[in-house]
Amino acid sequence: MKAIYALFSDPGSAQDAFDALRRSGPSMGIDAGKIVVVTSEPFEGYDFSDEHARSPMFPLAAFGGLAGGLFGYWLASFTQTSYPLPTGGMPIVTSWTNGIIIYEVTMLGAILTTLLTLLVTAGLPDYKPKLSDPEIWNGKLLVGVTDPPDGARAALEATLRQAGALTVKEFPAVAA
Amino acid sequence: MYPAHEPGKRTDSLNMPHHWAMVVDVDRCTGCEACVVACHAENNIPTVGDDQAARGRAMHWIRVERYWEGEFPDAKLRFQPVMCQQCESAPCEPVCPTYASYHTADGLNAQVYNRCIGTRFCANACPYNVRFFNFFNPVWAKPLHLQLNPDVSVRSVGIMEKCTFCVQRIHAGEETAKAEKRELKDGEIKPACVQSCSPMALVFGDLDDPNSEVSRLSKSGRSVKLLGDLGTQPNASYLQKT
Amino acid sequence: MKKSEEQVQKDLLRPLFESSAGYWFAVAAAASLVLAGVFALLYGFYSGIGVWGLNSPVFWAFDITNFVFWIGISHAGTLISAILRLANATWRRPVTRCAEAITVFALSIGAIIPVFHIGRPWLAFWMFPYPSERGIWPNLRSPLAWDFFAINTYLIGSISFLFLPMIPDFALIRDRATGWRQKVYGTLSLGWQGTPRQWHRLETAMHIMAIAIIPVAVSVHTIVSWDFAMTPVPMWRSTIFGPYFVCGAIFSGIAALILAMALLRKFLRLEEYLQPLHFSNLGKLLLTFSLLWFYFTFAERLTTWYGNGESEMTVFWSTVRGQFAPLFWAMVTFNFLIPVPILAIKRLRTITGTVIASIFIVVGMWLERFLIIVPSLSRKYLPYAWGSYRPTWVEMTLMASGFGLMALLYLVFSKVVPMIAIWELKVGMQEPHHAGASEAVAAHAAPGKPAIGDLSS
Repeated sequence: MKAIYALFSDPGSAQDAFDALRRSGPSMGIDAGKIVVVTSEPFEGYDFSDEHARSPMFPLAAFGGLAGGLFGYWLASFTQTSYPLPTGGMPIVTSWTNGIIIYEVTMLGAILTTLLTLLVTAGLPDYKPKLSDPEIWNGKLLVGVTDPPDGARAALEATLRQAGALTVKEFPAVAA
Repeated sequence: MYPAHEPGKRTDSLNMPHHWAMVVDVDRCTGCEACVVACHAENNIPTVGDDQAARGRAMHWIRVERYWEGEFPDAKLRFQPVMCQQCESAPCEPVCPTYASYHTADGLNAQVYNRCIGTRFCANACPYNVRFFNFFNPVWAKPLHLQLNPDVSVRSVGIMEKCTFCVQRIHAGEETAKAEKRELKDGEIKPACVQSCSPMALVFGDLDDPNSEVSRLSKSGRSVKLLGDLGTQPNASYLQKT
Repeated sequence: MKKSEEQVQKDLLRPLFESSAGYWFAVAAAASLVLAGVFALLYGFYSGIGVWGLNSPVFWAFDITNFVFWIGISHAGTLISAILRLANATWRRPVTRCAEAITVFALSIGAIIPVFHIGRPWLAFWMFPYPSERGIWPNLRSPLAWDFFAINTYLIGSISFLFLPMIPDFALIRDRATGWRQKVYGTLSLGWQGTPRQWHRLETAMHIMAIAIIPVAVSVHTIVSWDFAMTPVPMWRSTIFGPYFVCGAIFSGIAALILAMALLRKFLRLEEYLQPLHFSNLGKLLLTFSLLWFYFTFAERLTTWYGNGESEMTVFWSTVRGQFAPLFWAMVTFNFLIPVPILAIKRLRTITGTVIASIFIVVGMWLERFLIIVPSLSRKYLPYAWGSYRPTWVEMTLMASGFGLMALLYLVFSKVVPMIAIWELKVGMQEPHHAGASEAVAAHAAPGKPAIGDLSS
């Protein structure tokens, strides 16, 4: 995977670069999905990608909780009725106390579902080499394009520099 | 959590043939503790030694509690044999995580040694303190090991045990009656303590049999339940001293 | 001038790459305590639980006191991380990871105690619901079965809550380190890149987990309290136990957190990150919980005294005037009389002040658990069966090794993970994009002290 990217010192200019790339992307033959932004911290209020508006995580977690609750209900009543023990006339399936088990398994379901959803939607774990630069850990923001068409390189560089890039680099880094 | 239980009345859904109960006549008890010795012999209860007993680990499934009343020269001594009350609404039963403590169809609180993992929750829950724990592996110095009762299992370390109303004798009596194709007679089955009580302060029998001695005595005006206000609905009644 | 992000990273990553002799000495001391505990435990397995001080009727004492104590300490992380996260309290940022680590480690220590305190620990797996050849499942009516589910849910939840925000920090170390570190942290970081999508998903996941983990934490300690409240033991059968224990747990948890923070601040040289402001804010929370603890204790005791039940009053007087009176009054002093003045008076609510109050509170809360368990068990309904309790060297060793294990886990953790979440701190240092954000940052700064993000030299 090859890429051209630039480093920016503040989120405002990174946002400008991103917008510029989105606008001029089609004319350069660059797909919007190829524009990548990489940062070392989340930036609230900036719109680097158009995927962050709504996410299904909350409803999925609720659904996971429901699934957990049903499983807990099944577990409690199944285990209590599958081997019925003589209890001297007392009920074999006790609803109040089963409720506690059901509650715990519901919460467990919600938690595990959230974990799973996070891993799946964030694309983790994924050990393939990805676009990144050590400078991002010093507060720089990275905005770049993966696999750009050869003819668009110069135009890309110009767009990035116009938005206020500190440097423009290639990935993987070319030995000098 | 549990449907209301009326003492003396059984739910029929489990087809229970008997309802074992015991009556203790406190007036007749002389405090001789023959019941304690007989229980030890019958049920393979270990003697823990004087050091452990001083630490509070003596295991007496039935014990004779001794209470002084009044001041000298009018001091009186009252004896109260206390064993597992086989409560209908036993607080020790719901709390055992492995069902080692559960309620049989006969009205007994059973302790299944094989299931016990020794959490000791039941012993904390028992208001009568009639549950005992094997803190160490019991040892019978030779030749006392020859005296062990083959009808009763020997418990190892980490297991909770308590009075079972000599369930081995109950089963033996029921099997004899079945083999002889007859009903059980009142007084035929006697736990070790009942058998050894010379003033006949302990009476054992079937509450479901309206003619049995325990049925008659438990309806007596002197009959009370130990710690009855706790709601445990014990199957043992105590006839108060007059 | 703002502290540069480079400097922040350097400070927070330093412990991972450098160790002092003092560190190794501390590790050795903690490890030897743990080893002593293992020896004591094995001795107990070999000889039987009789080598402990338990007897009839005191069947639970140090073992369950320590169990409830450690589960209680584990409530620190939840409060700080989850509730403060949901309340958008930005001062929580440097504190969350220490708190979440305390939760996971204290919970782990607490969770192994029920396995080892039973009479036949090699059969502890019977509490796990699996279809066994014995033909029975665990008894779900038992509070111990509820404990099993609750503690496991909380453990899984806390481990996730701790691990998820560590992923970006692992990625940072991966990109900075060489050799084996790069491989290990590379694997642990799950290939994290840092795209906005990933950040958004991570933060949403943390938000959901924060909402989910608070009711779980409340339920865990409530269920632990029901180990007592579901029995007819005098002064145990009390409906207030659920809220009482949760309050006590959060109380002791915050105190433990303050202690951990003070130690980290000193030994990892994090003076500029863990500031007096944080200790002061936590101190205010501690004060609230001290008052709340006193309220619950008073309410419970007043109701008992007013009811004048014979067995209950026996236990009551044994703690207030009798055998356990010195411990009881020490508990009240340590939990209330000493901390409240220290924490209420602003001039005393310094780092030293809150640490002193916290030490007293941790001891006092241990005493509280002991005084709930042992006096009630030793004075049940039938006077002939009353007893007493004294711990043996085995139980004392086990208790000390619990603390040693906590210290060891924490020391190891501080060496492999930055104790302050670097990316969260960076977010706090950002130039505010909205007017609201800057007000929030300014409002939390104590007057005259620099704001969190503004570490002017």
